[in-house]
Amino acid sequence: MDFNLTREQEMLRNMVREFAEKDLAPKALELDNKGEFPADVIKKMCELGLGGTLGKKEYGGSAMGHLASILSVEEISRVYPPAGFCLEGIHSAIALIQNAGTEEQKKNLLPRLIKGEKIPCVGVTEATGGSDPSVMQTVARPEGDEFVIDGRKVWITLAPVADIICFLATVDGKATAFYVEDGTPGFEKGHRADQVGLKSVPIGEFAFTGCRIPRSNMIGKEGGGLPAALTVFSTVARPNVAAIALGVAEGAYEVALKYCKERKLYGAPIANLQAIQFSLADMSTEIEAARWLCYYGVWKADQGKSVREVAVDTARAKVFATEVAIKTCVRATQLMGGYGLSPEYEVIRRLQDALELFPAAGTSEIMRVTIGRSITR
Amino acid sequence: MRLNIVVCIKQVPHPEHFHEIKLDPESQTINRRGIPAILNPPDKHALEEALQLKERYGGTITAVSMGPPEASQIMEEAYALGVDRSILLCDPLFAGADTLATARALAIGIQRLGEVDLILCGTHSMDGATGQVGPQLAEILGFPFIGFVRKMEIQERGTVLAERTIERGYLKVEGSLPLVLSVTKEINTPRLPTVIGIMEATQKEIYTWDTKELGIDPALVGIEGSPTRVSGIFERRLSRKGELLQGDPEEVIRKAIKRLRELEALR
Ligand SMILES: Cc1cc2nc3c(=O)[nH]c(=O)nc-3n(C[C@H](O)[C@H](O)[C@H](O)COP(=O)(O)OP(=O)(O)OC[C@H]3O[C@@H](n4cnc5c(N)ncnc54)[C@H](O)[C@@H]3O)c2cc1C
Repeated sequence: MDFNLTREQEMLRNMVREFAEKDLAPKALELDNKGEFPADVIKKMCELGLGGTLGKKEYGGSAMGHLASILSVEEISRVYPPAGFCLEGIHSAIALIQNAGTEEQKKNLLPRLIKGEKIPCVGVTEATGGSDPSVMQTVARPEGDEFVIDGRKVWITLAPVADIICFLATVDGKATAFYVEDGTPGFEKGHRADQVGLKSVPIGEFAFTGCRIPRSNMIGKEGGGLPAALTVFSTVARPNVAAIALGVAEGAYEVALKYCKERKLYGAPIANLQAIQFSLADMSTEIEAARWLCYYGVWKADQGKSVREVAVDTARAKVFATEVAIKTCVRATQLMGGYGLSPEYEVIRRLQDALELFPAAGTSEIMRVTIGRSITR
Repeated sequence: MRLNIVVCIKQVPHPEHFHEIKLDPESQTINRRGIPAILNPPDKHALEEALQLKERYGGTITAVSMGPPEASQIMEEAYALGVDRSILLCDPLFAGADTLATARALAIGIQRLGEVDLILCGTHSMDGATGQVGPQLAEILGFPFIGFVRKMEIQERGTVLAERTIERGYLKVEGSLPLVLSVTKEINTPRLPTVIGIMEATQKEIYTWDTKELGIDPALVGIEGSPTRVSGIFERRLSRKGELLQGDPEEVIRKAIKRLRELEALR
């Protein structure tokens, strides 16, 4: 058993850590308060190559792999979770197109997405319920060489700023993946939803009314939409969200630990108090457990294991890491007394971000359903 | 004008972990075990300057370091940033070198590279912090040296016009190529490697040259070739003495000045 990162992964992690600490940390609070899409941060991340860790070399990616992709998401999220979340959206779209798209689609779309010239999104969820895609109401009617799309998607990461919009719609009742370019007549991007956390990530809706797209915008096979989406959820979106949660927890823990070492009561740092140490010990233990769970699933994906074999581990990582993120943030606020609630320590902000991670890419219950089914099969 | 640039780099213990470095009073050595090692931060500015010069004028960049096998990590990092060649001067005989013996090894390594226009160094290494290797290297090679450069420009007539930081300002200095420069952190903002750069770096060969390959007389390098010896190492303990002066502000100030004079902290 080898727990070491490869030299490449290690250099990647060091690079992303340096970027996060030098470039993002000084402005994270301000960016988040503004609640605006950090376009230049996304551009910079893509210039460094963080958008292309899953992309193949022929499309301008580095193909460094799944573990590399979540290492970068984790490091970014340690400092500024919204940028990690945007990266998750980019990774998911790239994976969907690369796994299921035609060669022409890949050549046309992937290099621009990897470079960050175009922003993508992946829309599955509808108002009728994200956990149950069988009730999907967005339809695609074939008409000659075109499809006519009608319907609406909600809660879609990056939708308000997206240029390339991937989505699922049913063709004769069977879910199928497509993409549409922003500006196509009959396609409209809605406003962003009001968010409790991840305030600078644009999350919102989009709608189609008789929107015509060429047949060549179909991604993968007719009726192949759900398996294509599930593959992306299991191997990319869920482990990425888990890595964001891990980063959020690490960030909150580090703030609290530093505070406990510096805050003096009764003439000594409160870190000397055993009750405080117990709390810190639990936090660090849970974070370590979450970390290895997060790495394990994607490591298996990098080893070429099947989606089915990976799916249970990434579901475990997602449910566990998101819960650890919430617990860690709550504990961190407690350890810091009144200061835990003060915005400048950025612990409350991380708690708010962590709450957004529960439903994203499938709720905790859905993760448990996935795990439960696999172990009782 | 294409430039053949050499950048001298060094691996040092991570400054954030300096406090973990242990001194062993018996063996008179420092124990760095378990301390992560990184590329000497001032050298990042030298690498960056080389990369910017290459982007402008074309040419080649060669990174050179004298160090143990583990230093191949920073040679790989130099590749990730975009240098063309990484050369590690590595031999157990190099161990224990002082600045002169280090500069000698570097000079011989650099002489093997053929034509060189510019040699860039950081101002100092974070661990040794003597700032001597750059000037000694220039001396051995017979090149001019400009230290503490905060801005530089290559002139048509084959010279470098540089702004050299001094205590209360700067000097404008011109020197003819080939020459050695040490650059300060004000000169640029070092870039980060890209993911693709990192991927490619691990595929590239790090050239490792030992004393045999270099044809160096072992008596000139390492501890053998070092005229300076560490006669002792000791830990400095900082202890502060507090003294409370009381009275109204004017009186306290008078007392404070008096005490500082007595302690010879004020004259
Ligand atoms: C920050 C954020 C970003 C998002 N980004 C995207 C995106 O980019 N693309 C996209 O398509 N969607 C996105 N979503 C939507 C997300 O996928 C859905 O919110 C999620 O799938 C749940 O759907 P729902 O909100 O409709 O809840 P529902 O599906 O209505 O669920 C309601 C409750 O029922 C529970 N439940 C459902 N089924 C079961 C079951 N079988 N057993 C037990 N309990 C069950 C759920 O866990 C939940 O507690 C995002 C959401 C958030 C918060």
